[in-house]
Amino acid sequence: MIEIKIVIAYLLMAMGVLFALTTVIGLFRFPDLYTRIHASTVSSTMSALCATAGLAIYLWDPLLSSKIILIGVLLFISNPMATHAIARASYRKKITLPTTNSPEERKGDFD
Amino acid sequence: MKIFLLLVLFSGIGFLLIDNLRFLSNSGFSLGAATHYYVTQGFEQTGALNLVSSILYDFRAFDSLGESTVIFAAVSGIVSLLSRKTLPVSSHGLSIIVKRIFGILTPFLFVSGIYLILHGHLSPGGGFQGGVILGTISIVFCIVYGSSFDYTRYSPQSKTILEVSGALLFLAMGIIGIFLEGFFLANWFSSPERLGKLLTPGSIFGINLGVGIKIGAGLSIIFYSIIQKRIEGK
Repeated sequence: MIEIKIVIAYLLMAMGVLFALTTVIGLFRFPDLYTRIHASTVSSTMSALCATAGLAIYLWDPLLSSKIILIGVLLFISNPMATHAIARASYRKKITLPTTNSPEERKGDFD
Repeated sequence: MKIFLLLVLFSGIGFLLIDNLRFLSNSGFSLGAATHYYVTQGFEQTGALNLVSSILYDFRAFDSLGESTVIFAAVSGIVSLLSRKTLPVSSHGLSIIVKRIFGILTPFLFVSGIYLILHGHLSPGGGFQGGVILGTISIVFCIVYGSSFDYTRYSPQSKTILEVSGALLFLAMGIIGIFLEGFFLANWFSSPERLGKLLTPGSIFGINLGVGIKIGAGLSIIFYSIIQKRIEGK
């Protein structure tokens, strides 16, 4: 007999793997730095969150599960911060500037 | 011809390795007398559940003392070569989002570093690893909050005092060993009922603490000595 929590845990982990797969496809397909950052954030937030939640449900032990959830919260907070810092630094210091769809090109669209 | 010779060479090495591994896994005694002694007697002799820590800070404590001396000499050399008189404000840090979130994360990083140091004889980790985390906090302060943040709050003199006190704690553990057991860096662990507790009588706890403080303060001193000469002020 398969328990329901094992099924939920495997579903969550499979969701995490799918999000990581979209990240890989996005990293290869997207043209410049900013869109690639947009793709990689999917993995570093949603995939990490799904994998840690699935693992916590799979173990189902108060101490271990709470530790794993803490790790997930840490990843969920710190990874967007790092991505934000990379994108902001590369835009402000003009390391790479957006090639297509720059704000000057599309100024009229947002008025 | 060359490829054939290489094939023969690598297959021979592979055969030797496989044979060696099978020989090792058959009997535990073939590991060597010293290794066998460490593995079987390490827990009772040192009172450290972490076998790596018991080898680093008890059986091979002289090596660790030498490594600490090397780092101490490196810090002294860098500090004496690069002056640390003034620190110009070279950067004002990253955006407000990074500052706020790092303010939330810093206590957890600090607790994790202290945990690694204090539980060095019970779980993986130890003085070097925890000390590196503590030093990294100080380095990230410089990147996130600007170069004058850490310098104005914690002066280099206090870091020097911390580093020297860590080294002195290491040496004091060795000298206490002379008085209690008869030789330098001896572990005075003698109560097996405290095995696995946090406050174990013995030198491994104190040496972990000393090395952790020393490494953290030393890395911070090295970093802040180097950045002052490179970056010009506004």
